[in-house]
Amino acid sequence: MKLTLIIVLFFPITNLAQNGHFNFHSTENKKMFADYLFCEGDYLRAVEEYESIRDLIRNDTIDFKIMYCYSEIGLFNESNNSLKRISSNSPFRWAGLHLRLKNKLIENPKGLRVFHDMPSPPDMSERRQKLILTSNLFDEEIIYEKEDFLYVFEKGEGQTISYFYDLKKNPPYKSPALAGFFSAVIPGSGKMYVGEWGDGITALLVTGLLAFLAYDNFKANHNTRAWIFTGLGSFFYAGNIYGSIASAQIFNARIDFEFRDGLNLFLQQKNYFMPEYDFCN
Amino acid sequence: MTKNNLIFFFLIIFISTSAFCQLDNLKWKRADLSYEKTNKFRQKDYSFEFEDAGDFVKKSIAYTYWFFISDVDGDNCPFRPSCSSFLMQSVEETNIVQGMLMFFDRFTRDMNLYKGHNQYPRLKSGYYYDPPALYTLKKQNLNFYYLPATEVVDE
Repeated sequence: MKLTLIIVLFFPITNLAQNGHFNFHSTENKKMFADYLFCEGDYLRAVEEYESIRDLIRNDTIDFKIMYCYSEIGLFNESNNSLKRISSNSPFRWAGLHLRLKNKLIENPKGLRVFHDMPSPPDMSERRQKLILTSNLFDEEIIYEKEDFLYVFEKGEGQTISYFYDLKKNPPYKSPALAGFFSAVIPGSGKMYVGEWGDGITALLVTGLLAFLAYDNFKANHNTRAWIFTGLGSFFYAGNIYGSIASAQIFNARIDFEFRDGLNLFLQQKNYFMPEYDFCN
Repeated sequence: MTKNNLIFFFLIIFISTSAFCQLDNLKWKRADLSYEKTNKFRQKDYSFEFEDAGDFVKKSIAYTYWFFISDVDGDNCPFRPSCSSFLMQSVEETNIVQGMLMFFDRFTRDMNLYKGHNQYPRLKSGYYYDPPALYTLKKQNLNFYYLPATEVVDE
């Protein structure tokens, strides 16, 4: 019995043991591991593995994947530098150039008009046009007419872009000057104009109450108290005018923030109009 | 229990005590830990070093308020920086007149009868984050400091 047990344990341990002949770190195995990490979305570790075999295997798919990984982890300079290794004959060359535009846009969200005349094959040209036109919405001013803007987009995309275009052309800003003026005429009304009703009503009540107390004390010849209430009331009144102007500015900053946020979300959903490659199936 | 088992247990105890004993060069010491919760918005600096007359007036008002009202009344301001700190920072970032206007606006917002503070982002501790830099009327400050109400700010 003991002998059988020893043989049963000993046999698999010796025969199936890991031995030195199997090279876990062969180039092929590293590539397989890197591909696995890439498909899992672990771009940080994937790019490390790809970099370790980059000089051993000349492969434009690996070069493009390295560029893509760096872009995904936010190392845009490294990503752009990786483009140099993708040869001009490679089918990934145009996708690499498009990825470089994507990197530029993420790094510095503004119009990519200077790349408008870059030559490219027809299928990539359309994608690039879409990206460049959409990028113009990040600029302060849009120089294109709406028709020139929408022609390249399909129906669903077109509706979204049309919405963003209209929002850019006519943002629902509130005028800080008008908010200040309203609050000067009726305390708190500037805040109400900006949509902050609670603050507006509070400002109206506080200023009104202090004004009444000042008036009442002057009327009763309690001059010291009257002047204290007048001073306090004046500060609240002036502070409210100032605050209404500031609130309108903050409201406009919120509009700008939501616009940029929405546009970024749209571009992310479209993956910046990148061509789709199925590397994982 | 046999003699061998006794030797075995003795060895285990002996080896572990001798191997993991406290050595002279690695004496255990009292851990110098602070369990005080740090919060940059709640630190009140009572130092009375002032640069000019305006600074003296500002600090006098703020310290008087902190000492006689704020410290006694408790932590009631829903904002961070608190209203008194907001006044100090506003005056530092702008000037005494603009700082006072910013403060009275903040005080009105603090008094909001409807408690409508939904437009402010929150700190992890639950306070509303409302830095004075947003109210200086400088556009570059707005672009830098504006945060949406959905954001949770680290303290």
